[in-house]
Formats: sequence, structure tokens, C-alpha cells
Amino acid sequence: MSVDAAQAGAGGVRGPGNSSGSNSGTWGGAVGTAIRFVLILLGIGIVVQTFIVVEARPQDLITGVHGMADLIRRAVPPDFSKLPAAVWPTLQTIDIALFGTMVGVIIAVPLAMLAASNVTPSRLAYYIARAIIGLARAVPDLVWALLFVTAVGLGPFPGGLALGVHSVGMLGRLFAETIEQMDMAPIHALELTGARRIQVFSHGIIPTILPSLLGISLYRLDENIRSSLVLGFVGAGGIGFQLLTAMNLFQYQEVSLLLIIIFVIVLAAERLSAALRAHLD
Amino acid sequence: MLRVCDLSLRYPSGKLALTGFSLEVLPGELVVVLGGNGSGKSTLLRCITRTLKPSAGEVWLDGINLCALEGEKLRQARLGLAMVWQQVSLVRRTSVLANVASGALGRYSTLRTVFAGLPADELEAARDHLADVGLAPLAAQRAGTLSGGQAQRVAIARALAQRPRVLLADEPVASLDPEASEEIMRLLQKLAHSEQLGVLCVLHQIELAYAYADRVIGIRNGQIAFNLPRSELSRDAVRQLYLSEAA
Repeated sequence: MSVDAAQAGAGGVRGPGNSSGSNSGTWGGAVGTAIRFVLILLGIGIVVQTFIVVEARPQDLITGVHGMADLIRRAVPPDFSKLPAAVWPTLQTIDIALFGTMVGVIIAVPLAMLAASNVTPSRLAYYIARAIIGLARAVPDLVWALLFVTAVGLGPFPGGLALGVHSVGMLGRLFAETIEQMDMAPIHALELTGARRIQVFSHGIIPTILPSLLGISLYRLDENIRSSLVLGFVGAGGIGFQLLTAMNLFQYQEVSLLLIIIFVIVLAAERLSAALRAHLD
Repeated sequence: MLRVCDLSLRYPSGKLALTGFSLEVLPGELVVVLGGNGSGKSTLLRCITRTLKPSAGEVWLDGINLCALEGEKLRQARLGLAMVWQQVSLVRRTSVLANVASGALGRYSTLRTVFAGLPADELEAARDHLADVGLAPLAAQRAGTLSGGQAQRVAIARALAQRPRVLLADEPVASLDPEASEEIMRLLQKLAHSEQLGVLCVLHQIELAYAYADRVIGIRNGQIAFNLPRSELSRDAVRQLYLSEAA
């Protein structure tokens, strides 16, 4: 086809076909604009309905500012004379998180081996492991804590158990995904040397994924320290329980001291975890 | 030593990957398998190691038919077969020495190796195997830091730690530069001749086959096209092998 003929075919001649093509372009543009308009309306609708559902009253923030100011005035200065009494609950809080993370790691590692599709010994084991991990993760740690408080009574132990079980769910899933994403060539090579399944696990899989496992576990410890503070509110011991007690007794200067301690713990855990993870990389 | 008799493999799709394939690898012999892509070379090795179960035929290793075994008996019998892969198959985060020594894991109980590690004499033997492949100074280095050629030599050292009678190599030089490829082939030849190891090596590089093989097997459409001593191999026969693959 010559250049002229090509130009004519492409639009040089205005025939019925070209006319309809042009119309179709116009319709396409109109439909696109309409869809964009609907999407914008939908977005606005979602934002508005959240305000309605949460019964948002921004004006209350302004009228309530006096109450907040009064609370803060009564909370300063922090009552540092209560510091010695806060040491033990602080240690409890940290140890609840450590205990929960350790329990979680110990149970999650073998469970992840069963729940990773590339190394699981059978499909049945895979589905059972996935179900256990799913259940442990689906139930919030606060609910686990309430269950364990009912079972073993008040104190740090139910808190540690609650974090342990919930960590099994979170760590099990992340560990399994890490195993599923690893390079399988060294694993197959080890299998062919005649190494048994557990030997392949100890000498092939663990060394390969160890930095990831440690990184995930440290991140989980960081999360568990925050969670263990909240678990005290439902009777699972630690500084959270002391904070709740101080609030109930209107001891706001003690509350501010405890909040400072919580801030320091959370920040220290976050920095330590980040530093260790950076070292692992 | 290694004898493959009438080996056939049909995939579930119905495609016949190997048809009545027979070969023998003797101690001290380096046998190279040549053939185009999809001709069945790697499938043959997978059937020999029983990572694929052949539809018919037998694989005899030192008088034991691997095709008749399953489970622990198969694992035990397969200890005599070592495999070197095309891609780097080392555990990258452990030391070179640990990778080599891991070839001996299959000879020891799980409890012993998991809790007490391998015995000291196995670690010494692993050092010797590293020296055999010329990498003794790198024993403590992390495997992930090695070059492609070095990694492949460590993989061969690991295969030696297994104390095999036959070494299978699936395109061991595919990702290496010419110099490293020559090094690996020289090493395989040395192991075959000085250690009386049977070596069955799948290659794409015809020149390497001419330079190092004792015998060359041509494979086309899952069947043997020729099985000749290197001295009797004509370039025309090899050319025909690849021409017919292209056709």
C-alpha cells in the first residue's frame, strides 16, 4: 500500500466506518468519565459512612479540651517515688513478651515445616498445620488472654500463654512463607546425597532461612512487648495491670510515670530489634 | 557398576521421554551424554537417581536394582550415586567445609548429626576432598561468596564426601566460562581415572566431549543414537545428532 493510500485508509476519507469509529471514541470517553465520577462518589460515600458509623463528633474534641487539660495538669509531675514499685511489673511485662515469643518460635518452627507446601511430608499434615496456624492467628491475643485467665487465673502466666499462642499463628504463617520462598536447589541436592528428612532440615533448610527466622522473631518480640502492656488490662499481669489500677484509683501522677516507662520500653525494644535485624542482614 | 537396561519413561501426558534406553558406566570411565534440548538427557539422570520413576526398565548399581526399591532401602542403595547439578546447589550461608561434609550425612544417624554433628574424621575427609578439587584454602569461607566455577568444584567435593561409586553430572559447566568449564572437566576426568569412579556427564559442549570423554553417548528423542568410544566418534555423527534434533 502506498503512503497516500494508507493515509486515506487511516482517516483521509470520511466514510461511514470512520464516522462510527469516531462516535465509538466519544462514547468510550463518556463512559470513562462516568466511571471516574461514580468512583469519586463512591470514595466520598465511604468516607462519610465511616464518620456516621463511628458517631464522629469533632466538636466534642473542642468542648472536651478542658477535661483533657485538667487530666494532664493532675498527671504532672510524674510520681517518681513509685518507680521502685514499677520495676517488678516492668520486668514482668518484658518477660511475658519474651516467654510468649519463645513459646511461639518453638511451636511455630516445626508447624511451619508442615505448613510449607514445598517441604511438607503430606497434604493432610499441610492442611492440619495451616488450620492450627489460622486458628491461633484469627483469635486476637486479648481473647486468648481472657481464655487463659479463666483457665489458670490472674497473673503474668496467662499473658505469656496468650502471646505464645497468638505468636504461633503469626510466626507460623510467616515462617511457612519464608520456607516456601527459599531456593530449593540446595535442598534437593542434599536429599540426593542420601540425607534424611530431619538432616536436610537441620543442615539445609535451617541454615538457609535462619536470618529470616531470627528477623521475624525479633519483630514479633517487638510486637509482643506492646501487646503485653495491653494484656495487663484484662488481668494478665505486668505494667498494664498496674496502669489500669492507677487509673481506676485516679492516681494520675503514677499513671504518667507508668506511661513514661512504657514509652521507654517500647522505644528500646523497637531500637534493639531494628539494630539486631540490621546486623542479621 | 552402573547398568541401565531398557529404561523407558512415559509422562502422564502420554509423551514418551525415554524409550528402551540401555547403557553401562564402568569404574574409571568418563561417559558423556550429548543431545539437543528436550532429547531426554536430564530425564535419563533423573530416572537413574529415581527422582523420576521409570515406566519400565531397570537401573542396576553394584548388583542392586534401584527400580525395585522404595523408601529407606532406596535411600541406602542410592548412597552409591552422587549427583552434581547445573545450578549452584550449595547452602550459601554455611561454610564451604560444612557443605562438603554434608555429603556424608546419609551415612550417619539423624540423632548423631543433628545433636553432635559429623565426626572429626569426616571433617578431615571433607578437607581432603576440598584439597582434591584445589580449594583447601577456602574451607572456612561462606559458600555464598564463591564464584560459579568454585561453587561447582565444591559441589563435586561434596559428591566425593558421599563416597559414591558413580558420579552423575547434569550439565555441570552450563553456566561457567570456558576456562572454568575446562577446569571442571579436567577434574571429572581425573576423578574417573585416578579414583576409579564411574562418571556419567550430560553436556551440551561438543568440544569438551571430544577433549575429555572416554565414551560418548548420543541421545535423540529419548533413544540412543550412538554409543561410541571417543576415538571412534566422528564429527559427522555428532552433527547429525543435532541436525535431526533441529528437524
